[in-house]
Amino acid sequence: MKVVELRNVYKIYRTKYYEVRALDGISMDVEDGEFVVIMGPSGSGKSTLLNLMGCLDKPSEGEVLINGVETSNLNDNQLTELRRDTIGFIFQTYNLIPTLTALENVELPMIFKGFGREEREERAKELLRSVGLEREMNRKPNEMSGGQQQRVAIARALANNPKILLCDEPTGNLDTKSGGQVMEIIKHQNEELGVTVILVTHDSSLAKYGDRVIRLRDGKIESVEHVS
Amino acid sequence: MFLELAKRNLQRAKVRSLLAVVGILIGVMAVSAIGIFGESLKAAVVQNFEEVANELIVSPNFQEGYKYIEEKDINRIKKLPNVAEAIAIKSDSLLIESKKKKSYAMVYAMDEKDVEEMFEAEKGAIRLKNSCVVGKRLAEFVEIRVKSKITVGGKEFRVAAILEDAGARFDINPNSAVILSPEDFEKVSDVGYTMLIVKAESLEKVDDVKREIEEKINSRDEKVVVFDLKLILERINEVFSQINTFLMAIASVSLLVAGVSILNIMLMSTIERTKEIGVMRAIGAYRSTILKIFLMEALVLGLIGSGIGSVLSIAGGYVIDLIILQDASYVFQLSTILYVILGFCIGIFVSVVSGLYPAWKASRLEPIEALRYE
Repeated sequence: MKVVELRNVYKIYRTKYYEVRALDGISMDVEDGEFVVIMGPSGSGKSTLLNLMGCLDKPSEGEVLINGVETSNLNDNQLTELRRDTIGFIFQTYNLIPTLTALENVELPMIFKGFGREEREERAKELLRSVGLEREMNRKPNEMSGGQQQRVAIARALANNPKILLCDEPTGNLDTKSGGQVMEIIKHQNEELGVTVILVTHDSSLAKYGDRVIRLRDGKIESVEHVS
Repeated sequence: MFLELAKRNLQRAKVRSLLAVVGILIGVMAVSAIGIFGESLKAAVVQNFEEVANELIVSPNFQEGYKYIEEKDINRIKKLPNVAEAIAIKSDSLLIESKKKKSYAMVYAMDEKDVEEMFEAEKGAIRLKNSCVVGKRLAEFVEIRVKSKITVGGKEFRVAAILEDAGARFDINPNSAVILSPEDFEKVSDVGYTMLIVKAESLEKVDDVKREIEEKINSRDEKVVVFDLKLILERINEVFSQINTFLMAIASVSLLVAGVSILNIMLMSTIERTKEIGVMRAIGAYRSTILKIFLMEALVLGLIGSGIGSVLSIAGGYVIDLIILQDASYVFQLSTILYVILGFCIGIFVSVVSGLYPAWKASRLEPIEALRYE
C-alpha cells in the first residue's frame, strides 16, 4: 500500500522579477513500511518536498496523496488532523517547546488529540524510556544535550502512533555518536514497528539506513537507488 | 495544561509580564477606587436626605379653588395604612412687632411635640404654652432674645426659644418664622390647615401612601396636591450616578493604556514565538488551539492584574474616603463593593480583548512560514 503519492508536483516561488522552481514536476510513491532517504545538495528542493509530504505546504501544481487521501481538497483543520494522527515530524533543530519539560513535550501531540492526563502521561513515559531518557523526563530542553533533545523530539513524533515519520536532517546538528544513536532509534521504529520513514539529508553516510535513496537536483529526481 | 503553558510563557519574560500586570492593576485600581469614592459620596449625601425622604407634603390645590386642607381629610389621612405620622400645619403671614422693629413674617401653628421633633432650639427651650418660638434669622432681624416679648398679629407672646438655623428644607422653613401653638394661633388668625406633612413608615411605602392619599382624598375633586421628597432623593441618586460614570470613564483611560500595553507585549511575544507556533501547528494544534493558548495568557495577565488591582482599590477607596469624606465606613457597603467587582470584570475584559488581536494573528500563521522563521 502506498502511504505517500506525489503526482507531477510543482512548487514554484514567484517574485516580481524572477521565479524559482523548487520542485519541478516530481512524481514518486512511498510504500507502507519503507525507509526512503532523500538526498541532494542545498537548494535541490528536498526540504520543500518533505514539507509537501507533511502537509505543511501546498504544491503549486500536482497532487499529493497521504495515506490515500488527496490533500489539496482538505481544509486547515483536516490537514491539522492528518498531521496529528498520521505524520510525525523530526526537525534538524529539534524544535522542542522550551517552556515544557521532556515529558510535557512528548505529551503535547496527545493533548492536541484530546487524550486524558493519565493515558498520555503513561504513554509519554513509555516513549521516553524507549529512547533511553527515563531519567531526563522532567528536564527542560535547555537542560539537555542536543542528542537528548533530538531523542525527545523522536518520542514526541511517535506520540500519536503515526504511520509516517518525516525526518529533516535529524542528525544535522549532532556529533557522530549522538547522530548514530538517533539513527538507530529511527531505524528501529521502521524495522520493528513498521513505521514508514522518509528522511531528508545531505549526509551521504545516512544512505545506508534506507531501503531506497532518491537523489534530487534542481527540483527534479536525479536518480533512484535501491539499497539491498 | 494550556493554563500551565500560559503561566510558563509569561514567566519567560518576567519583567515584561510584570509591567503588563502593573498596567492592568493601576487601571483597575483607578476605576474601582473612583467608583468606590463616587458611591461613597452619593451614600453620604443621600444619608443626609434619608431622614426626610419618607416625607410627603400635602398642600391644598389652589388651582382647583382649595385654599385649605379640610380637617376631616387630615383625619382620614392619619388613619391610612403605612402612615407613621401626620403633622398638620396652619400658616399665615402676620405682622410681628418687637420693641425696636416690626416686620411681616410667616407664622406657623404646630403642636409642641412636633416642633421639638423637627427642630432644635439654639437658645431657650421649646415651650408653646402662652409663648412662641422664633426662627434665628427673624430673631436677628427684629432684634429679640429669649424671654423678650413680641407681638404677633396684635397679641403679645413671650419668646421661649430661638431655633437653630434649619438650613434648606422642603417642608417648612422656620428661619424667618414664628411658631405658635394651635390654640394661640387661632387667637391671631382664622386660616385653615395649609400643609400636612405625612411620614410614611418607610421609604418603600412612600409610593403606596401617595397613591392612597390621591385615591381617598382626590376621588371626586382634586382637593390636594401631594409632593414626595423621595423624588428629590431619586434625582440626587441619578445625578451622582452620572457623575460617577463620568469619573470612571476618565479612569478607564488608564485601563485603555494598560490594554494597549498588553496588546504590545503579546504582539512581541507572538513574533518571538513564531517558530514555536509553527511547531505546534506541525504536530497537530488547530488554529483555534493556538488562539486559546494566547488568549489564556492574556486572561492570566488580566486575572492577576485585576485581582491585585481590586484588592488595592478597596484600600485606595478607603484612603480617598477617609481624606475627602472623613468617613471610610461607606467603603464596605454592598453598592461600593459592586464597583470592585465591576472594576475586576472590566480589567479582565480589557485584557482578553487586547489579547484577541495578537492571538488571532498567531493563529493565522501558516505552519510552514512559522517553522522557517528564525
